[in-house]
Amino acid sequence: MSFEEQVDDIEANTLLGGQPFFSRAGGKIFIIWLVFTVVGVLIGAYAPHHLLPGLLSSEGGDVWATVVVFTVLAAPVAAFVYAVGFYSLIAWRHRSDDPDVPPPDGAPQRGNGPVTVLWLSISTFLVVVLLFWGITVWSAQQTTHPNTLQVNVTGQQWVWTYSYPGTGVETRTLELPLNRPVQFNITSVDVTHGFWPAALGVQVDANPGEVTVIRTTPNKLGSFIVQCSQLCGLYHAFMNNQAAVVTSQQFDSWLQTHGATSSAANTDADISSGASTTAMNK
Amino acid sequence: MGVILTFVVAFVAIAGVAAYFVTETYTSPNAPSGIEVAKSLGTAVVNGQTLPHVALQFQTYPDASGTVNGKAIHPGGNPSWPAYGLVNQFQVPAHALVTVTVQQYDSGGSLNNPWFANVHGTVGGTAVFTTPSGKTTVANHWDPDNIGHTFTMRSAPGVDSNFFLNVPLPTNENLPTGSSNDDAGQHYTVTFSFISGSKGVYAWNCEFPCGSMVASFGGVMGAYGYMSGFVHVV
Repeated sequence: MSFEEQVDDIEANTLLGGQPFFSRAGGKIFIIWLVFTVVGVLIGAYAPHHLLPGLLSSEGGDVWATVVVFTVLAAPVAAFVYAVGFYSLIAWRHRSDDPDVPPPDGAPQRGNGPVTVLWLSISTFLVVVLLFWGITVWSAQQTTHPNTLQVNVTGQQWVWTYSYPGTGVETRTLELPLNRPVQFNITSVDVTHGFWPAALGVQVDANPGEVTVIRTTPNKLGSFIVQCSQLCGLYHAFMNNQAAVVTSQQFDSWLQTHGATSSAANTDADISSGASTTAMNK
Repeated sequence: MGVILTFVVAFVAIAGVAAYFVTETYTSPNAPSGIEVAKSLGTAVVNGQTLPHVALQFQTYPDASGTVNGKAIHPGGNPSWPAYGLVNQFQVPAHALVTVTVQQYDSGGSLNNPWFANVHGTVGGTAVFTTPSGKTTVANHWDPDNIGHTFTMRSAPGVDSNFFLNVPLPTNENLPTGSSNDDAGQHYTVTFSFISGSKGVYAWNCEFPCGSMVASFGGVMGAYGYMSGFVHVV
């Protein structure tokens, strides 16, 4: 096939070429896109059930829904990129026997107003929807509640420690009462760590010299793992600990067994670090 | 044919790099070699349960490049770095009473996090601290501003998440002289016992900021084998 014939072949196979829709390149890409989109949407809708941990807080449910919605909305976009790339690799690969002959360019797209408007409109719509959704979910986590339990979280290579201000209790395991709002005051005494109790829908960096605040309300009983989510050195993988959501009676009993000097009814933000405080809603 | 060869070469390259890193984890050329198997002491009764009883003994030195009885503390070790020695990997049986004796030759200072001045995870929640002059104290904590090192141990994820051990080692004011540790006679002795967890790999490290750079957790604290190692529970 001569150079001119290859150009004619590509132009005839474009989206607006003269052949029937499903015979043209655009039609084939559409079919591939459709298949990829369906697969992507199914993965987005069902994979989180198997990949995310059991959720023990209402905020965790919001985060779970965000993962599903964002994945489903992103699926058609990603599918389009993969479909075009996949089709290009197969149909428009370089067929010349002479490796020194470069493949011809396709028809230029510059100046195609409808395509530009469509592309910008869809992108803008998706970004605005995702921004609005994200801010709404994030704002819910910043709401303060009365009777909030304060928990100071300190990250250090390679251990998390938790203190409950006003009780004198400091432990390596995290225990939380059911249906009581919790405010985590998170910091680090060495490098940056990532406080990640995934079951609570919380993931916040623990930064040295700063205290970062985030809130959640456990609404289901159960145990879970707190893991460091920032690569923090030699034993980063070992920086995890057991945690649990228990009844308020069990929580009070747990505090007593860990040497509580007073009840757990601490509601003031008694943040142990003398560093500046960074609230997430600033 | 070319495509198949490309995939084969890529697979071998990736597998080779992965194998290198796995091997490197346990056999770093600058890390102490060998695994010390805990010495059997028979059995012991703890809380009404009869358990196998084993013992471990190791030291902390101020000079990683030094030698003890002709053996290198840390082969090729940095002379300005401290080190545990002479090995950094230990083997103990699962669910056994493990009695550990640590001879602490190094100096120290203040912890970044005073929580590590407390004894956690030992039988009775205490350790026995013996000064260089022979005075013995049984305590559940030490002064957080006079810590030499800590022996802190936790399990690999999924092995025994409830296991956690931390014992502070007091600072030693009488440092040995010279680059060799052969004359390191003045030392604190800390003895404690713990019940080992389920079978698997456990990591231990020091939580005293005895390194350099960020919060003194760089340098020796970021290098494998000086202030860190593994305990193999079998």
